[in-house]
Amino acid sequence: MSGWDYGSLSATGVLDARAPSGQEPGRGDDLAERAELLAHRQATRRARLRRLATGAAGLAGLLAVWQVAAVILGDQVALPSVSQTVAQFMHYLGRPYPAQGKPLWFDLYISLRRILIGFVAGVTIGVAAGAAMSASRVVRHLVDPVIEVIRPLPPLAFIPLFIVWLGIGELPKEVLIIVGVIPVMAVTTVAALDEVPEDLRLCARTLGATSRYALLHVQIRSALPGILTGMRICMAGAWSSIVAVELLAATSGLGFLIMQAGDYLNTALVFAGIITIAIAGLVLDTGLRGLLMLADPSRRR
Amino acid sequence: MADGPQPGTAERPSAHGAHVVLDSVGKTFRRAGRRTVAVSGASLQVAAGELVCLLGPSGCGKSTLLRIIAGALDPDEGSVTVGGQPVAGPGPDRGFLFQSPMLFPWLTTRKNVLFGPKAQRAAGTDERDDPELDAEADATLATVGLSGFGDAFPHELSGGMQHRAAFARAMVTRPSVLLMDEPFGALDAITRVRMHEFLLRMWERYRITILFVTHDIEEAVMLGDRVAVMGGRPPGIREVIDVPLRRPRQLADADTEQFLAVKRRVRAALAA
Repeated sequence: MSGWDYGSLSATGVLDARAPSGQEPGRGDDLAERAELLAHRQATRRARLRRLATGAAGLAGLLAVWQVAAVILGDQVALPSVSQTVAQFMHYLGRPYPAQGKPLWFDLYISLRRILIGFVAGVTIGVAAGAAMSASRVVRHLVDPVIEVIRPLPPLAFIPLFIVWLGIGELPKEVLIIVGVIPVMAVTTVAALDEVPEDLRLCARTLGATSRYALLHVQIRSALPGILTGMRICMAGAWSSIVAVELLAATSGLGFLIMQAGDYLNTALVFAGIITIAIAGLVLDTGLRGLLMLADPSRRR
Repeated sequence: MADGPQPGTAERPSAHGAHVVLDSVGKTFRRAGRRTVAVSGASLQVAAGELVCLLGPSGCGKSTLLRIIAGALDPDEGSVTVGGQPVAGPGPDRGFLFQSPMLFPWLTTRKNVLFGPKAQRAAGTDERDDPELDAEADATLATVGLSGFGDAFPHELSGGMQHRAAFARAMVTRPSVLLMDEPFGALDAITRVRMHEFLLRMWERYRITILFVTHDIEEAVMLGDRVAVMGGRPPGIREVIDVPLRRPRQLADADTEQFLAVKRRVRAALAA
C-alpha cells in the first residue's frame, strides 16, 4: 500500500497497472506515516513536560533567592522570609485580620466573587456588542468610536465616579470590572469574527449545513479561540482593577487585607496576600487556557 | 474511454454525475458606485461525469462563475441548471473545494468528514444513524488514503493530506458535481502533481461531474476532457477546446506530442 492507500482502489480495477502502488520513492506507507504522527504527538507531550518542569524550576529559584536574601538582610519588616510569609498565610487563613475584620479565605472569596460577577457580566455584554458590530455595519460605525474613546482610559479613573453614583457597596466594584472588560471583549470579538473567512461558511453550506447551523457551528465556533484569548487579557485586567479599588475604597477583599497589613507593618502578611492573588490569578488563567486548548487543538503543545 | 474495467461500486455506492448547463450567465458587482462586470454571456454545457477546466488569468470571472454554480452568488443575467434543476443557494449536491483545504481546525479528520452528514441530520435531510455514518466516514477516509489519520487534527496533516481530507469531506455527502476553485494552487509542484494523480483516480472512481478552475495551462490540459478558456472584455468564455487525450490519463501523457499540441492551442486561445 502506498501512502495514499491505492490498495483499495486497485481492487476496483481503476488503478492502472503501470504505477504499482507502494513503490514510489520517498513516500512511506500508511503505517509509517501513522507512526510518525504518534511519535510527533509523544514528542510534543515530552516537550510540554520539559517546559513545565523548567518553569517550576524558575519559580523555585525565585523562592530560593527570596529566602536567602531575607535571611541575609535579617529585617522582618523590610523583607520577611518565605517561611515567615507561609506562617502568616497559614495563621490568618482561618483567623480574622485585623481583629474585627475577616479571615484571609473570606477576603479571597469576596475578591473572587467581585471579579467573577463583573467578568461574566462584562464578557456577556462585550461579546454581544462585538457580535452585533460584526453583523451590522451601522452598529459597528455607531459603537466603534464609543469603544475607541473608552478603551484607552484606565478603569481606575472611574472609581470616584462610581462611588458617587453607586455608593460603597459591592455594585461599584462589579461595575468597575464590567467597564474594564466590555471594550476589550467587544474589540477582540469583532476581530475574531472578522477573521473567520467568508468561504468557511460557504464551505459548511455546500456540505449541507443550513445558514443557521453554519453560523453557530462554523462562524461562531471558529471565533471562539479569539474570544477566549480576549477573556484571558480581561481576566488579568480585572485583577489589577479589583485590587486597586479594594486598596482605595473597600472594607473587605484581598486588596483591603494587603492595605491593612501594610499599615500595621505586617509585611509577611502583605506578601501572603500578594501571593494569594498570584495563585488565584494563575488558577483562573489556567482554567481559561484549558478552555482555549479545548477550543483550538493546534495550541495543545 | 477507460481501458480497464469500470470502477467497482459494490462496497459503497458511487455518486453519479449531473449535467450542468450555463446559459448566457452574467454578473456585475457594484461597489461604492463603481460597476465591475465580473462575467458576461457565459454559456457552457457540461455532460454528466465530464471533467471541464475553466482556464484564465486573474479577474477573468472564472471564480465568479464557479460561485454562481455553487449558489453562493446569484447571476444578474442568464440561468444555471444542475441536473435539470435551477440552482437556488448552496447545497450538498454541489461539493466545493477551495484553494486552502478549509478544514475545520477544531475537528479531527474523521469529524471533519462527518460534518456534512451531521449538519444534514440537524437539518432533517439525512436520516442515517451514527454507526452508519461512522462506517461511511471510515470507508471514505480509506479511499483517500487517510485510514490512520481519523483522529489527527488538521494541523497535524501535511498539505497534500489536508486536501485529501477536504476531498473526503466533500465526497461523503455524495455530490453529483464537484466545483474546484484552484484547489492545488498553493501546493508545491511535486505535491501538486501527486494531487493531480489523486484527483484523476478519484474522478474515475466516483464518476461525478467536475468543474475545475485554474490559471495553469498544463494543469487544465492534464485534467480536463475539455478546457474552457476565459478572458476578454467583458470577461466570458472565449473558446472551449477538446482535450483528445486517452482516459484513464497518466502523468506521463504530459510528455506526448498530442499533449503539447493541445497546450499550444490553449495558449493561442488565451493570447487571442
